[in-house]
Amino acid sequence: MATLFRPAERWRNRALILFALVLFFFALVLPFGMAVLWSLVDPSHPWAYPNVLPPVLSFRRWVEIWTTTGLQQALVNSYTVALTVSIATILLALPTAFAFGRMEFRGKAAAQVLTLLPLAMPLFVLAIFYVTILSKLGIYSRFLGIAIGHTVCLLPYAIRLLTVSFSGVRQDLIDAARDLGASRLTVFRHAYLPVLKPGLLAALIIVFILSIEEFAISYIVGAPDFTTVPTILFSYLGYNFIRPSAAAVSLILVVPNVLLMLIAERLLKSAGASGAAGKG
Amino acid sequence: MVSDAPALRVENASLRYDRFQALNAVSFSARKGELVTLLGPSGCGKTTLLRAIAGFVPLDSGRVEIEGQDMAGIPPERRDTAMCFQSYALFPHLTVADNIGFGLRQKRLSGSAMTARVEEVAAQVRLSAQLERLPAQLSGGQQQRVALARAMAVRPGVMLFDEPLSNLDAKLRDQVRAEIRSLQRAQGFTAVYVTHDQAEALAMSDLVVVMRAGVVEQMGAPEDIYRRPANRFVADFIGTANIMAAKVVAEDRTNGLYKVATPLGEAVVRSDVPPVAPHVYLCWRPEDARIVSHHETGSLQTNIYRLQVRSRTYLGNLVDLEAGRGESDGESWRIQTHGLGHGASAVNPGDTMTIEIAPERFRFLNEAVT
Repeated sequence: MATLFRPAERWRNRALILFALVLFFFALVLPFGMAVLWSLVDPSHPWAYPNVLPPVLSFRRWVEIWTTTGLQQALVNSYTVALTVSIATILLALPTAFAFGRMEFRGKAAAQVLTLLPLAMPLFVLAIFYVTILSKLGIYSRFLGIAIGHTVCLLPYAIRLLTVSFSGVRQDLIDAARDLGASRLTVFRHAYLPVLKPGLLAALIIVFILSIEEFAISYIVGAPDFTTVPTILFSYLGYNFIRPSAAAVSLILVVPNVLLMLIAERLLKSAGASGAAGKG
Repeated sequence: MVSDAPALRVENASLRYDRFQALNAVSFSARKGELVTLLGPSGCGKTTLLRAIAGFVPLDSGRVEIEGQDMAGIPPERRDTAMCFQSYALFPHLTVADNIGFGLRQKRLSGSAMTARVEEVAAQVRLSAQLERLPAQLSGGQQQRVALARAMAVRPGVMLFDEPLSNLDAKLRDQVRAEIRSLQRAQGFTAVYVTHDQAEALAMSDLVVVMRAGVVEQMGAPEDIYRRPANRFVADFIGTANIMAAKVVAEDRTNGLYKVATPLGEAVVRSDVPPVAPHVYLCWRPEDARIVSHHETGSLQTNIYRLQVRSRTYLGNLVDLEAGRGESDGESWRIQTHGLGHGASAVNPGDTMTIEIAPERFRFLNEAVT
């Protein structure tokens, strides 16, 4: 293997690998490690300055959070909202993405910029005015309020991702299918779907994760009676700042998302492979 | 009468994109079992015409008839055509068998009939052993044959080929070209074949339609197109041509003999067709000139020219010479002789040589010098 590269390239590769490792350490290993350690700090033995590691490790924080706070309900809330939001967002994004990815029309570039523009708005600002709109419309369900808010704010991501997918659909396959007498459904199944599948999955999972992690809308629309995991997390970072509890909640929030990302990655790979090699 | 009806008829097909006239009153027809090539440089409208025949592009005016039936308003999926795409357009997630059977499945053929037909066509293109493979596992040449088989499987009224060989390397291209032609003859399907490669067009076609800028420049059998090009564009596009502005100085129409003045010198031309104007373009091919040895020069009188060689390219089977009258200025002409032929191996740049061009080798183009 080593003979594949000349010495100069070998050194450059080593430097790049080292850089990646350092980045990985500071961006992931360190924060995660700290979060795990902090969440295991025993309430009666605080972790303070001279100690490099917590003096006593225990799961008491975890048990406390699980039994005494509204975390269980918050988890249910977060996941049902996210599921609703991701499905609704994908369905709503599809027509626009199709137009952007497969059609030519005047003002297309401007329209594409316009759909991305909402991303520039701070969500807090948006949320404050959004609440008044909700009450004007007579929508009092917190669940529905948060779900609609998330759907609207996450649409740009889904549109962007699906536009790329739609533009990856090969016109010659569409033509070939039609030329051989295929119905619209058959054209969709054989020319569109194999290419769209990875993008659909990616958009679904990314919107799902973004919805779970969203705080501003969930807090402003939902508080105080509809809690999600981020609202609970932020309650530990406010007046009553309890770092170990915050660490535990943030792990509960983040770990499933990281796992989801990994699953998404696998799905994307297998979907991509089935596009080229698998029977579908 | 019925048997004489063309399998495909295109009449006055015109199409305009904004300011660009893609097709301008194009007409041609293909009889059953004929292979017609649409030949021309890129942007000449040949692919647009093919897509119009398939139904992907609606015409502004004119009509397309397939087996006597007007195709106006009929979408691609209901036309009796099957296209071989330049990119092959194989479904990457389907096996070779499923790709070949794709059109048959749309026709709702029974399972056993479909399998039988798929196997039959696969055998014709020598893919019987690859039926369970996926396109990505095949070579370029094999993918090309899958595309061909997929189109053939449905027994279309007209097969459409969109530069099917352009993604193959040179050697494979010749082989697949011969294969397509022999399959076409054996199966007797009617085909329209788009290419920008004049060698491909000459080798394969029953009829060549030469197009430029949406207009048909000339239509005819390969020999006609090559030997009797209508104008400078066709002469130059098909093969290599020496084109000279000529002035008719004497004519004997009854015997078809003309004396003309050209930059090469005075020439005697034998032609069944009289020139269209006193000032007319005259064309000859590089292989029309014969290098004459010193001892025969005395016995020859007509169309003998002394030229100085400016460059010499050895092509293996041929030697390609560029020669002119003067040292290095003025017009020059291309001359090709067989590598083994007389004199060519002895001729080097700077040498003077004598060539002879037989009177019937010259060809008047239907294009006056303006």
